Amino acid sequence: MGAIGSVLSSSMLLYIVRRILWGAFLLVVVSALTFLIFTVFPSADPAALRAGRQATPELIAQIRHNLGLDKPLYVQYWLFAKGIVLHFDLGYSYQNSVSVRSQIFTRLPVTLSLTAGAFVIWMIVAIPIGVISAIRRRSLLDRATMGAALVAISAPVYFLGLVALFLFSNDIGVIHLLPGAGSYTPLSESPWRWFTSLLMPWCVLAAAFAAFYARMVRGNLIDTMGEDYIRTARAKGLSERRVVGRHGLRAALTPVVTMAGLDIGILLGGAILTETVFNIPGIGRYAYDSIINSDLPAIEGTVLFGAFFIIAANIFVDILYAFLDPRVRY
Amino acid sequence: MSALTWARRDRGVGRRRIAVTAALLTVIVTAVGAAAATAGGRQAGGRITVLSAGDVDHIDPGQAYYSFTYEISYATQRPLLSYRPNSINAIPDLASAMPKYSNGNKTVTVHIRPGVRFSPPVNREVTSADVKYAIERGFASSVANGYAGAYFGDVVGAPAKATKGVPDIKGIRTPNKRTIVFELKRPDGIFTGSLGLLMTAPVPREYATKYDSETTSTYGMHQVSTGPYMIRNDASGNINGIGYKPGQLIDLVRNPNWSAKTSWRPAHADEVLFKEGYQDPTVMTRTILSGSADVNGDSPPPPAELRSIMSDSSERGQLHFTPSGGSRYIALNTSKPPFDKLQVRQAVAYVLDRNAMRLTRGGAIDGRIATHFLDPSFKNQGFAQAGGLGFDPFPSAGFRGNVAKAKALLRKAGFANGMYKGPQVTMVADNSPPGSNTAQVVAADMAKIGFDVKTISVTHSTMYTKYCNVPKNEPNICPNVGWLPDFHEPQAVLNVTFAGNRITPVNNSNWPLLNDPRINAAIARATTIVAPNARWAAWGKVDKMVTQSAAAVPWIWENFPTLYSKHVTPASELWNSGAPDVTFMSVSGS
Repeated sequence: MGAIGSVLSSSMLLYIVRRILWGAFLLVVVSALTFLIFTVFPSADPAALRAGRQATPELIAQIRHNLGLDKPLYVQYWLFAKGIVLHFDLGYSYQNSVSVRSQIFTRLPVTLSLTAGAFVIWMIVAIPIGVISAIRRRSLLDRATMGAALVAISAPVYFLGLVALFLFSNDIGVIHLLPGAGSYTPLSESPWRWFTSLLMPWCVLAAAFAAFYARMVRGNLIDTMGEDYIRTARAKGLSERRVVGRHGLRAALTPVVTMAGLDIGILLGGAILTETVFNIPGIGRYAYDSIINSDLPAIEGTVLFGAFFIIAANIFVDILYAFLDPRVRY
Repeated sequence: MSALTWARRDRGVGRRRIAVTAALLTVIVTAVGAAAATAGGRQAGGRITVLSAGDVDHIDPGQAYYSFTYEISYATQRPLLSYRPNSINAIPDLASAMPKYSNGNKTVTVHIRPGVRFSPPVNREVTSADVKYAIERGFASSVANGYAGAYFGDVVGAPAKATKGVPDIKGIRTPNKRTIVFELKRPDGIFTGSLGLLMTAPVPREYATKYDSETTSTYGMHQVSTGPYMIRNDASGNINGIGYKPGQLIDLVRNPNWSAKTSWRPAHADEVLFKEGYQDPTVMTRTILSGSADVNGDSPPPPAELRSIMSDSSERGQLHFTPSGGSRYIALNTSKPPFDKLQVRQAVAYVLDRNAMRLTRGGAIDGRIATHFLDPSFKNQGFAQAGGLGFDPFPSAGFRGNVAKAKALLRKAGFANGMYKGPQVTMVADNSPPGSNTAQVVAADMAKIGFDVKTISVTHSTMYTKYCNVPKNEPNICPNVGWLPDFHEPQAVLNVTFAGNRITPVNNSNWPLLNDPRINAAIARATTIVAPNARWAAWGKVDKMVTQSAAAVPWIWENFPTLYSKHVTPASELWNSGAPDVTFMSVSGS
């Protein structure tokens, strides 16, 4: 208790409160901007879309009224913001009148599954490759892995996803190996089918991240291995494995952890391309469908949700840093 | 289906791009018909899996409007009339016979079948009062059916605008449990066609009232069925999250209260699963070819896949083409210069290279080049009366445009040397192919006779709802518009799109803003003719008049492809642009 108390000093608490308030303010800005972009810039009229081609102007006006779109913009935004703050109510879809909150929460486990699995894969792949490349700089292995990393970073997810489907899916693939698009099965229904249905999306989503992280680990480790304390460790007679693993890697991985926190935050907001290519019913595909249908409440909901995760990850990382380095609290 | 404008069919990614040559078309349509005709001998059981890119427009049958939604709701609901797969002619469904007209065609009487029951949890037998309520609720603001006014607005006592609560329409009477009578203000040539719309599918008042009394009705999420299938639900009737997961799936299971004795639909399969979210049409196509799914629901195979399938003799038979029943056209704004002048519009009609425009959508496989608005599937129901394939007021070799003729017309319009001189003209077009490519062809062709076209590129739905459907925002040219009929009646093609009295300040579908007294009079006359042959002749004449006005330049009678897996017996709805009729399809080996 005493240790925690000393860590959570008043300056630290103040810092945390400040960061959280700043995060809340950012969420307000994000929601206002999304609202503004949707309403001010040319986009389809949701009332007309909902009404259909034969509807009279009076009927469209009625639908606009039902949806609350006839109110002044500031009132619309105020009602929306009030709903979120007081009831955590993200509104109802213009398209099917289903609660946006329920849709997002229904889809959250799907996106969580996708993100978590991809994260595990990209870290398992990236760290060893980065370390080996750093230790064996300019070797054939280093050049090969870094070359491959460049390809993986350059390949867009939708391209890689389609290639993977056409090669390895058990319906349209050349090699019938894994379930294809639209095969997602919830973990609660069948753990094995859940695992196999996500294996390909995990690998595709992880590919670019793994490549990027491998390059980052490599670069960081090369820098770290040039530090004086590494030379000292070697001079003390420690084995190279111990020098790299205990002293070099620890320091080299700190920025990686920071970056991973942010990336997970972004992905929890929805891996739009991966979910769309593999037809995974997560938040990313919901966001995509909402944009296509000009469904403002759903767009607002998914954007806010994504922003929340990114901001939360940022705050978490900032607080972590504040613990590690007291200078950032001031 | 229904007001199947391309505006709606193109929702999201779903673009029905394709078609076929005339000879192939004839063969294939005949094949579909033959296949459907053998329905009686098919095997029962199994599951049909339909893949789609998007979701339904409305899950509530009383709001449903577009093709994909009809594909599903026609399997769960029984409107008074509906269609066999290979037919464009409505026949009795919930009705026991075709409607009877009397009182100078102003009274329409329909008798309904006995023994039709609602699915659980309602379970009781359907009465005519349920049909009356179904139509009336369409006028309520909580349901706000988009076509209620257009097709049932002539019923005596029909509200002019949406009402708070479900109105009691005096012109719809139910003298007994099996009879419903419609009193019309005037004879209506397409009232019979209107009775095939889902708005006439019965809804039990005592069950639906609590949902319909909400600001936006949630009856759709608790709907009951009368058709062979129902959306999987729980004991309370809720389908949300059970048989309907928006954007993910719609699961149809057998309606335990449906009796085959009351229906001509065979309903072979035990289950029909609509899997949504297949945004990549190539993946969707190959999934069907692989046999992992059975048919495409709302979006067609892409042109490259179509060509590949057509060139493979082992796969060719799986592809079925159906005429769309409508056309795509270039709308020229007649309400302001320079297209307020007939000769300038006709010059544009001459200069457009319709062959190049068709190539932007895949070429000949996409359909026949249109020379007027009623497509060949109307046959002697207006198409032949308009002059059939022989009617082309703006001919050119290979449909590649005739610059000399265009220049001659411009000279007559007062432009020296036949080149347009005047302000830049505006065009609002799709920002993605194939629409954007079509717009480029239009701009390039018009440049040949001096037009400087400024193109504003937006999404397809924005093009409609913010520009081309709003007269005050309307540009000079809308190059990506088109219209599919709600059912095969020429009026459903030509009335809302070209009648001057249908121009509205928003949601306007008379894109050329055509308001020609001569054409208006011809349309007004045609809408009241109930006798089929006279009606079709009148509409054929309207088609000719509109085409000659060059207010809009039709360029393709598009056909829609439906791809079936080898595991199913195909059945396409000819009246619904080729949508699969899951109540007639069967699974082999089940």
